[in-house]
Amino acid sequence: MNTAMTKEGLEQILDQALQDVTERTAGVRLCQGDQPLGEDLCTVHITFDKGFGTSLTLCADTGLLVRMAQNSFHEEAVSPEDLEEFSKEYFNVLCGKVAGAMFRATQVAAHFGPPVFTHGRYEPEGQAAQIVLTYAAEGNTEGAQLIHHVPKP
Amino acid sequence: MPRRIMVVDDSRLVRVQLEDVLKGTEYEIAAYCRSGEDAIAQYGDVRPDLVTMDIIMQGMDGLDAAEAILKDHPEARIVMVSSLAYEDTIDRAKAIGAKGFVDKPFHQEQLLRVFAQALA
Repeated sequence: MNTAMTKEGLEQILDQALQDVTERTAGVRLCQGDQPLGEDLCTVHITFDKGFGTSLTLCADTGLLVRMAQNSFHEEAVSPEDLEEFSKEYFNVLCGKVAGAMFRATQVAAHFGPPVFTHGRYEPEGQAAQIVLTYAAEGNTEGAQLIHHVPKP
Repeated sequence: MPRRIMVVDDSRLVRVQLEDVLKGTEYEIAAYCRSGEDAIAQYGDVRPDLVTMDIIMQGMDGLDAAEAILKDHPEARIVMVSSLAYEDTIDRAKAIGAKGFVDKPFHQEQLLRVFAQALA
């Protein structure tokens, strides 16, 4: 994301932000692992538009996002609109935490636009995955991947 | 008499969370706006005691919307509610006249403390 930050340092920031925000926002604990994702997926994506020129993507099993949305809305029935609203707000908060940690580490302010939600997997055009962190929900087979993309050389 | 809050956030989830957190307190949600443009249009009609303003929204961002409201209504009391709680953003919020900053995800104690300070 920034030349002043090592890949390991960024991985640590991403991991900490994801675990913290997921537990506080949706009451779900995620642990890093290598379990492959299922076939029914949703993706939320943001682009850092100033200072960094990179992007972050969360690709998750739909069932996991539904469960997280149910916990957050305190409702069993989650409509497709609720799922999208939850996913975007959750990722917005997560990216804010990442941007804050990046600012403290580099003194460069990372601004980003509203998250974009899609069904299925989304690969940003002209970018390549630099970091892929894979998670499984505790006590469950569902999972998620947090992916940091950088411009292709 | 309850203190009337205008919530400005493009996420219904935040409205639900605020309703939960403000239940049983002296605050009530008087209006809900899903964009900065909507908040600017509604502020004069609603005249809330306090505005909670998200930053990252579709269209105009919350800092620009807060600045526009304060230009027309210098008495407005606006608290930014955002996960972008770091120096760069907090400094800009202070510079435009926001009365406080609440970090997302928020909890009741923090929210009520900042609200009370903003209304003091």
